[in-house]
Amino acid sequence: MSARVAVVQFPGVNCEAESVRALMRAGLSAEVFRWTRPAAELLAYDAYLLPGGWSYQDRVRAGALAAKDPLVDVLADVAAAGRPIIGICNGAQVLVEAGLVPGDGRVSLALARNRMPQRNGYYARWVYCRIEASNSVFTRHLEPGMVLPLPIAHGEGRFTSAKRGHVASLVRSGQVPLRYCTALGEDAIEFPSNPNGAEAGVAAVCNAAGNVLAIMPHPERVLDLGAIGRSVGGPWGRLRSQAMAQNPTEVFSDAPGLQIFEGLKRHLEVAV
Amino acid sequence: MNAQKQVAQAFIEMRASDPEASSALSVAQANMEAGRGLVGMRRVRVFELAGPLPPHAELIELLHRSNQFYNPSKERCVVRAETSDASPCVAGEQWVLVFERGGERRAGAERWWRHETGSRIEVREGVAWALRFAPGVDASASAEDITVTRDRRHGLLCNPNFQEWRPAPETGTVPMPWIATKPISRGPRARKGKAAP
Repeated sequence: MSARVAVVQFPGVNCEAESVRALMRAGLSAEVFRWTRPAAELLAYDAYLLPGGWSYQDRVRAGALAAKDPLVDVLADVAAAGRPIIGICNGAQVLVEAGLVPGDGRVSLALARNRMPQRNGYYARWVYCRIEASNSVFTRHLEPGMVLPLPIAHGEGRFTSAKRGHVASLVRSGQVPLRYCTALGEDAIEFPSNPNGAEAGVAAVCNAAGNVLAIMPHPERVLDLGAIGRSVGGPWGRLRSQAMAQNPTEVFSDAPGLQIFEGLKRHLEVAV
Repeated sequence: MNAQKQVAQAFIEMRASDPEASSALSVAQANMEAGRGLVGMRRVRVFELAGPLPPHAELIELLHRSNQFYNPSKERCVVRAETSDASPCVAGEQWVLVFERGGERRAGAERWWRHETGSRIEVREGVAWALRFAPGVDASASAEDITVTRDRRHGLLCNPNFQEWRPAPETGTVPMPWIATKPISRGPRARKGKAAP
């Protein structure tokens, strides 16, 4: 029997269906776990996904209210026990606001309002993310330096900290599995390669043990080659163009987002 | 237009019950220790305008006319142009201001103001939370515990990793200015002696 993953839905979350599809495409068993269920029932699952959306309508601050939910107390316990948790976009905001990432229980990071020249608010586009050396269970099977094109769609995605040098220290300690980059894999110095002004171009942060990941881009939206945007270049863009031109069935081939869920599957095959 | 004032504050609050304040109150009461002594919460958006400002009535009319500040159909606005003017504080409320560090300026509102009036002013925005505690609760300490996010159990209204918070030093009123702590640059027609501290 395949490992079971709970896709934890708070009110206002709206990416639960494609998150379930992504996990199932990777060969895992997944179901939506709504906020109305008893928190203790979460213990029956092997891994957890907090999807994107607007939990509690982003009231007070994105992710702030959901971070106080009793479900997150259970998630903190299972995270400490080593079970994998991935928060995507709003899910990442919840994990950061709950102190599960970077992981000592204290809230030492924020996903702040995007900083973009001549722009304000919500921003959606394709970005390139470079795999960094890390022990994250979601990316450690991938070669550092590999570039994944992924979509972002958020208004508050800027990883930052009040503590000077904290984000840089996370990079050095291998707790940043993905950073924004150019199509060629070079550091994203400025907008739009770095789409929100995140310190050190950080796109995702994991805890020290590597089992909890907060990621701002949406890997669950890029499961098929045909889902890759026409603006995307590099090897993935070429694969998409070839598939579209030569063999329409190829557009359903695996795409870069699936790599993140493949990492979870590999981990659970050993751990469960 | 006559330049008469240096600093004004606009306090904007929902006419109907505010779902954001209701959610914050219920989450604090249910899941935070300091929230157990909390009996009420209001959310008020605060704009601080600094520079050569028009007389009070004209100021109110400009704020009402612009779509940069509030929606008169669903929000009400109280303008305070002198420290002696009333603020919307209710006796017994502990007020706390939260704003984004380095992100409090509102460029769109400043552009609109210049287009409409020809004056350059600075517009800053923050959110004030009016907290009301049960008798016997240390309101000042509890307000800090509810405001400053430290972990899952402590803090809700401000993530100090990108936001700042400032409590009102006394109940029943708020400082003026409250957001701009540095001396505000004077406009070309600013009246002497009215600069912010």
